Amino acid sequence: MASFVSSGNDVIIKPNICTDYHPPEYASTTNPTVVGTLVSMCLEAGAKRVRVMDYPFGGTAKSAYAISGIADAVEAAGGEIHIMSQPKYIRVDIPQGRDLTEVEIYPDILEADLLINVPIAKDHGSTRLTLGAKNLMGVILDRGMMHWNLGQRIADLTSLVRPTLTVIDAVRILTANGPTGGDLADVKQTDTVIASRDIVAADAYATTLFGLTGSDIGYINACADMGLGTMDLSSINIQEINLG
Amino acid sequence: MSWVSWRRVRQAVQILSFVFYIILIFAVVQKRVAPALADIFFRLDPFSALGAMLASRQWIAKFALALVTVGVTLIIGRVWCGWICPLGSLLEWVSFRKARQRAKSISPHWRLVKYFLLATSLALALFGGLTLFVLDPIAIFTRTLTTAILPAIFYAVNSIETAFYQVNFLTPVLDGFEGLVRGTVLPVEQPAFAQSLAIAALFFGLIALNLLAHRFWCRYLCPLGALLGLLSKVSLFRPMIGIDGTSSTSCTRCTRCAVVCKPGAIDTNPEDFHIMPSECTVCLDCMASCKPGDIRFRFRMKPAQREEFDLSRRQALGALASGVAGVLLLGTDLRLRQDNPWRIRPPGVMDEEVFLSTCIRCSQCMKICPTTALQPALTQAGLSGLWTPLVVPRVGYCDYGCTACGQVCPSGAIPLLTLEEKRLSVIGKASINRDRCLPWASGVPCIVCEEMCPTPQKSIRLEEAEVIDSSGQTSTVQRPSVLRDLCIGCGICEHYCPLEGDAAIRVYDA
Repeated sequence: MASFVSSGNDVIIKPNICTDYHPPEYASTTNPTVVGTLVSMCLEAGAKRVRVMDYPFGGTAKSAYAISGIADAVEAAGGEIHIMSQPKYIRVDIPQGRDLTEVEIYPDILEADLLINVPIAKDHGSTRLTLGAKNLMGVILDRGMMHWNLGQRIADLTSLVRPTLTVIDAVRILTANGPTGGDLADVKQTDTVIASRDIVAADAYATTLFGLTGSDIGYINACADMGLGTMDLSSINIQEINLG
Repeated sequence: MSWVSWRRVRQAVQILSFVFYIILIFAVVQKRVAPALADIFFRLDPFSALGAMLASRQWIAKFALALVTVGVTLIIGRVWCGWICPLGSLLEWVSFRKARQRAKSISPHWRLVKYFLLATSLALALFGGLTLFVLDPIAIFTRTLTTAILPAIFYAVNSIETAFYQVNFLTPVLDGFEGLVRGTVLPVEQPAFAQSLAIAALFFGLIALNLLAHRFWCRYLCPLGALLGLLSKVSLFRPMIGIDGTSSTSCTRCTRCAVVCKPGAIDTNPEDFHIMPSECTVCLDCMASCKPGDIRFRFRMKPAQREEFDLSRRQALGALASGVAGVLLLGTDLRLRQDNPWRIRPPGVMDEEVFLSTCIRCSQCMKICPTTALQPALTQAGLSGLWTPLVVPRVGYCDYGCTACGQVCPSGAIPLLTLEEKRLSVIGKASINRDRCLPWASGVPCIVCEEMCPTPQKSIRLEEAEVIDSSGQTSTVQRPSVLRDLCIGCGICEHYCPLEGDAAIRVYDA
């Protein structure tokens, strides 16, 4: 973490806290231990402040933070839970955008010294899987319009947000009935955490846990096509660290 | 302690009660969990309690607290009106100088309107109708705060913040403010309610009536005040001038007491100079102002004398007849003979008729609903269902993780459900309009409804289909269809359907 955090940095961690429906065992929200550990690591590396935020589509932010276990984990680690508030959103241009050229976004996401994107790997109807790039939809207000050309628009948004580090929580993955979940039979324990500076590579690697490849997922293709990273897993240096 | 000090105590209690009421209002705005005392003012309200119990023909344990109000009134009179009622306090504070003079030209006979209203409401309730309970004072105040005043405040704060966020150096201040209030005092989603203008017009209209007389509503209209007024006629302790009412020795007929009396409860007729217990709000102003100090609470077992505006037997029968006529008119409303697909009730409500005779129209459920899905009905449930709650999914969905409405419902019209029960509680069924749905109608990929569907086994099934798009290209899209047996009608699909205007998937009452 020391190579990402400089002393006094303002860090934002963006997990996937999509609803307030289920506790973390249901694998619909990012694992609280993963989030809490990242908060601790950032603070140990000298971060001045670490904020954790998402904008759930089901329920209120406050209840989703609590039920996901993330509120407790973050507070125990010394971080802050942050509610993304509508008056603060700003409209910005997406210079590289191919289809989506402007968007209303939460400005802190763009202004943070370090943005760590911490999705949970799970099943998703329209995109098949929701991973790193898809998780960035949580920082904008109008998600309805994204669905008109979802793959490309996610890639356009990714080109704007560009998280420095993507950490995919695959401790438990949701293999069906995502992104909301609710059936433990759909949850698979895979005890894996994937971390990369390259959001596309991280996403491409995560697809293999579901028996897929990066090219099966529309937004991963679109991101790679825009040069936001590589989905060619043979071209990158993958270090597997087995913690037993 | 002097009467002046006692009056200060009364004023302090009034302020505390009002502040407590407002704090509870904010504590319940768009939350998932209600604080324990959230519905305390309704539970203390014997008018709503009596109505709900009469109409639903059951003892409602939550309303047992209303017996406290009844008990206090039987001991010492309308303390509720002068000390506790937040609407009464507001109407006392908003006073106009000319009102006292103007009130002189209003015949005291108009005071019978409130008794008439009370009798009509209770007659209606006896036949299962709670429509007139929209006029309960706590309900009026709460409904107006919920649907009109709070949304306006939130809108103002959000607009000011949006403007100030443009100024860079203010950002830390605004961030600090946001951190303190967002999600606690200020909801994350800006609320908006149907009919807020009509609801606000009723409220501000009755405040404006204060131009004609101090506490106009409390004097002439309030049905709760009327109920407590009747009880006050037999209260054990009553404020009286002199030892035996009129036969006072030290009273100089200076009428200073009548001048300060906000509800105008002192009859200054020289033949019969007396305080009317049924109109007195026990504010103690007369006692504090009496120079000879001859107004005191005196113990009486005998009921107070008849007032000229008390309902005669004929008028009481007239009120009952109006109630019956109301039942007949409301009961033969065409709306009630037709199924209304948009009459979607909160989770756990099983039977429409039972619901209409238990819901006291208090609007607490609308206030707490975190997604503002619950909206006041106009005629969707017939005129008899005016301002009862409806789920309007395009505005807000019924959150799969939430049981808040049942927690704040004082009458149990919306049952208190466990989360497990709520998740199985069917409030409607979704249905897709294939002529509008993007994949069905235009071959455009979109399955937001399936994505949002919260049931553990999705209630929306996707099927792949080959389609030819507008440019003649063949492609594969997934088409959604509803699995009717799994759908609980929460409406999140309808809420998030990205089509403009009406959603391509809508929830119907089922």
